[in-house]
Amino acid sequence: MNSILVSVLWGILLMYAGFLTKNKRSISVLAVVGAVAVLSANALEYMGLSFFDIDTKGMLFYNPYSYIFLVVIHASLLLYFLLSGTEVEETAATPSDHYALIFFVASGISIIAGFKSLLMLFLGIEIISIPLYVLAGSDKSNLKSNEAALKYFLMGAFSTGLMLMGIAFLYGDSGTFYLEGINMGATEMSPLKAIGGVLILASMAFKVSAAPFHFWTPDVYDGSPTVFTSFMATIVKSAAFFAFIKLFEGAFGKIQGQWQVLLAVITALTLIVGNITAVFQQSVKRMLSYSSIAQAGFMVMGIFAMNLMAKQGLVLYFAAYSVASIAIFAVLAKLKDHSVDAFNGFAKAHPLVAAVVLICLLSLAGVPLTAGFFAKYYMLVAVLKNGTMYWLPVLAIVCAAVSVYYYFRVIQAMYFKETEAGSVAEIQFSSSFKVIMVVCALLIIGLGIHPDWLMDLL
Amino acid sequence: MPLSEILFWFLTALALFSALMVVFSDNPIHSVLWLIMVFFAISGHYILMNAQFLAIVNLIVYAGAIMVLFLFVIMLMNMNTDAEPQKSQWMRIAAAVSGGALLLILVAALKDNAGAVSRTSGEGSIGLIRNLGKVLFTDYVLPFEISSVLFLSAMVGAVVLGKREKNSKPVNH
Repeated sequence: MNSILVSVLWGILLMYAGFLTKNKRSISVLAVVGAVAVLSANALEYMGLSFFDIDTKGMLFYNPYSYIFLVVIHASLLLYFLLSGTEVEETAATPSDHYALIFFVASGISIIAGFKSLLMLFLGIEIISIPLYVLAGSDKSNLKSNEAALKYFLMGAFSTGLMLMGIAFLYGDSGTFYLEGINMGATEMSPLKAIGGVLILASMAFKVSAAPFHFWTPDVYDGSPTVFTSFMATIVKSAAFFAFIKLFEGAFGKIQGQWQVLLAVITALTLIVGNITAVFQQSVKRMLSYSSIAQAGFMVMGIFAMNLMAKQGLVLYFAAYSVASIAIFAVLAKLKDHSVDAFNGFAKAHPLVAAVVLICLLSLAGVPLTAGFFAKYYMLVAVLKNGTMYWLPVLAIVCAAVSVYYYFRVIQAMYFKETEAGSVAEIQFSSSFKVIMVVCALLIIGLGIHPDWLMDLL
Repeated sequence: MPLSEILFWFLTALALFSALMVVFSDNPIHSVLWLIMVFFAISGHYILMNAQFLAIVNLIVYAGAIMVLFLFVIMLMNMNTDAEPQKSQWMRIAAAVSGGALLLILVAALKDNAGAVSRTSGEGSIGLIRNLGKVLFTDYVLPFEISSVLFLSAMVGAVVLGKREKNSKPVNH
């Protein structure tokens, strides 16, 4: 609750800050302060200090799991602001408004973290989605950005329609919006519940870009300004996954056996489509879009398994995936050219930043001693513990092996190829940028050696 | 046959006929006008179920605002048969099959739950504005307030997209 309030208020504050100052730098600083404020407000509530106490009629309820998830999200947001603040200033004509939109998204994520009623789920998802449509199209003179925004908006509106229809069917079946009410006593699927569940499943799969609902992802992620792609592909995707698991555990937990096959198919498709298509991409930005689909495949495995290990592992996955992707996207946003060749000779020109990117890519590939390894490990063990469909982990491991290929192409370009024109040497990385990058690397390695730092909290 | 029942069947027939005309009429403007008819018929149903507020909102929002938007879009896009994109035969068959499958499942599901959805008309006062307001400001006050964030972000977004950037040239059509 604290974080909802603080992020909304800070969004409004940033909106007005645009009138008070034209200095873009100070607006970025204000946004960083806001991220710290939201983070600490949430931490305070976790420790038992609520700013206010209202009767939500049981529509919002936060447990330690949601609080830790929010801590991960807000920490990623802080890292994102610190790394990509200068890019937001450059891309956006009015950074104050764009920061305001990002804070509204943050408030939506806080709602998602604690929803107990489908009404709040819908509001949260919409508060997250609508600012994103705008952010995707914020580079108004770029046709690809316009296309991304329009595609995202049309497809997103359609999937929202599906979700509303699903909610209506669930309401028709159980007469309540509350998750407990929908889950209660239902050991078998009634037809209405089945239709509602499948419709909601389709719309949630769309939001997390799981195959076969992933077609918008590459175009939207590729067309949007890189800074906002970074935000969409990491923080927002994690939030959508959190909503996904919370919804399916809360409303359909008792009938897990009946939708598991469906999710297994979605998982397998997502893993195969994401990884195989990523192999053929020439642009790093597009490759990262497909890799985000591939990573989503691993995360859907957590929803498939739906046990304690899967729930804990998902939050670790969010942390590992978000930190690594935010760092890579931050570097990518500084490059003018997004092809793999643009990374040629990067290691010679910027050894420190290249090393951090190396660690992030290794983490995304799931190499041991990085957070990505344990994230993937938890997902696999969760599915094994579930006791059915042993082919799924096998497929996932094969796909992870495929993913090594495309992540290593970037590493190869950075370390083993010579640059032609010296274009990478022209990029300047400020010292504060380097410090934050090192913090990202330390986080990844720290969580890779001691995942229990995060897991014990859950 | 009591009056309400006659009205019910009349409105049902009107709604179904208009909905079919929306799909089958060649001129998109006619489609939109038939769609307004559908909304009026559905609003009539709401009134029969003693849900005046819903009926009025349905008219104001759908038959009013959204339909005007539809008309503007259609007129701006200057739609005619030449501009219609050619769909392949397979696409049409696939669309018909999947749409038909969805219809079949929905009908089957509703048939199984026939008892749950039957409601006698003209009874219950849940749809009256007084009760709706009470519920909205007691039980549902939190979502009501939170939806303000949604509208605020939509407004900010509209301004961000609509504002002309200083260095950009005006777009010529």
